Amino acid sequence: MSGIFEYNGGSIVGMKGKNCIAVACDRRFGQQMSTITTNYQKVFKIQDNILLALSGLNTDIHTFYALMEKEINLYNLKENRKMKPTTFANLVASALYERRFGPFFVTPIVAGLENGKPILATYDSIGCKSDLDDFQVGGTGGNYIYGACEAFFKPDMSPEELEEVIGQSLVSGCDRDALSGWGGVVYVLTEQKITVKILKTKQT
Amino acid sequence: MIDFDPSTFGLAHTYQKEDKDEINTLALPSAPQVIYRTLNGPTQINGGNKLNNFKHGTTTLGFVFKEGILLAVDSRASMGSFLSSEQVRKVIEINEYLLGTMAGGAADCQYWLAYLANHCRTYELKNGSKLSVAAASKFLQGILIGYRNSGLSMGCMIAGTDLSGQHLYYIDNDGMRLKGDIFSVGSGSTYAYGVLDNHYRFDLSVNEAVELAIRAIYHATHRDTASGGVVRVYHIHQNGWTKVHDGIDVVDLHYKFAQEKGLVGDGDEAKQRLF
Repeated sequence: MSGIFEYNGGSIVGMKGKNCIAVACDRRFGQQMSTITTNYQKVFKIQDNILLALSGLNTDIHTFYALMEKEINLYNLKENRKMKPTTFANLVASALYERRFGPFFVTPIVAGLENGKPILATYDSIGCKSDLDDFQVGGTGGNYIYGACEAFFKPDMSPEELEEVIGQSLVSGCDRDALSGWGGVVYVLTEQKITVKILKTKQT
Repeated sequence: MIDFDPSTFGLAHTYQKEDKDEINTLALPSAPQVIYRTLNGPTQINGGNKLNNFKHGTTTLGFVFKEGILLAVDSRASMGSFLSSEQVRKVIEINEYLLGTMAGGAADCQYWLAYLANHCRTYELKNGSKLSVAAASKFLQGILIGYRNSGLSMGCMIAGTDLSGQHLYYIDNDGMRLKGDIFSVGSGSTYAYGVLDNHYRFDLSVNEAVELAIRAIYHATHRDTASGGVVRVYHIHQNGWTKVHDGIDVVDLHYKFAQEKGLVGDGDEAKQRLF
């Protein structure tokens, strides 16, 4: 279990629905094989219609989020308007590439709703943006969640269905990863609101 | 045809003749040819073999009390951070009066404890009485010292009953053999010791001891990523051993213990902000 991306562990997943989008994350904060807390926040609200989910080294999760919060606040002050999700997705990519030779050890997922259309973007740690897929994963349990996503996903799901499907994918995936789990949270973003649901998972 | 030469039944010849006895030979693996042996540290076989570096990812515990010995284990097997199984049997039933626990390399533990079982049965047939726990554990220690520095990974406990009572030994791949009253082995052992040391008394009743063992394993599975699955509990008494619990899911235990404290158990005791 060596490697800087495996030091803290954790998994995230994002999935598109019909005029809605969901992200889910586990809640573990650990140091290699030891679990420190089971309520670590990995999904952050950037704006009413933009969520930023981060996985990787926890210190960089925290720092990168703080950097993005600063960027969006300055943008709001300077431009006196909200940032569009596609713009924010681009901002994340450039912010990551800015640190090309000393990167943040995070793999972010940006989820947003622009004019009712779901926007989902994922990146590697130096800012390669990938925004064409219906679902994306990140973190140590990512590959296991992929399998569950492929099995459960269907296009144009309603918010309730999406919440169920993404929750199940996260939980099945994390059950096979020793470094992820200890709880799960699902965030569903629609035009009207953001719903947050805490999943009852294995605490082992 | 096997010839039963009476002289082979004498104790002095037991170990020697065993290799040539065709009906009960289990193949002894031969140590690798080119070994750079040092006094400490992992052996460099043909320049270093990283595959030999298994970690003891598990939690097993055993303790002696007035009603005998209690063994409790988890059931998770991991390959790095991949969970290969949540249903492993880490207590190996050597025979009706001896149990072994598994920690470290699963193959190593399974093979050598089966080899020990074979040896115990042969001894019983040739000598008319059962091998003592001390002798059985000593035999295993002898084997492991022979393979020292070859990369075997075993941290097992041998527990059993014989004419002098119930005994618990800890044996590991370095050739260590310790007799003791409380042991916990594996990556989750530190967490289990914390719970065990807090509430252990020699005069526990069987029910209290089982409850303590289950709690200790549960706490280890919660904190340690390499431990989890279900808890299996065995009790060794003067008539042999009994399987007390075949598999209690630690997920159920988590929510049960949380409820006992008046909590939900989802990590939100401090009512953390979710945004």
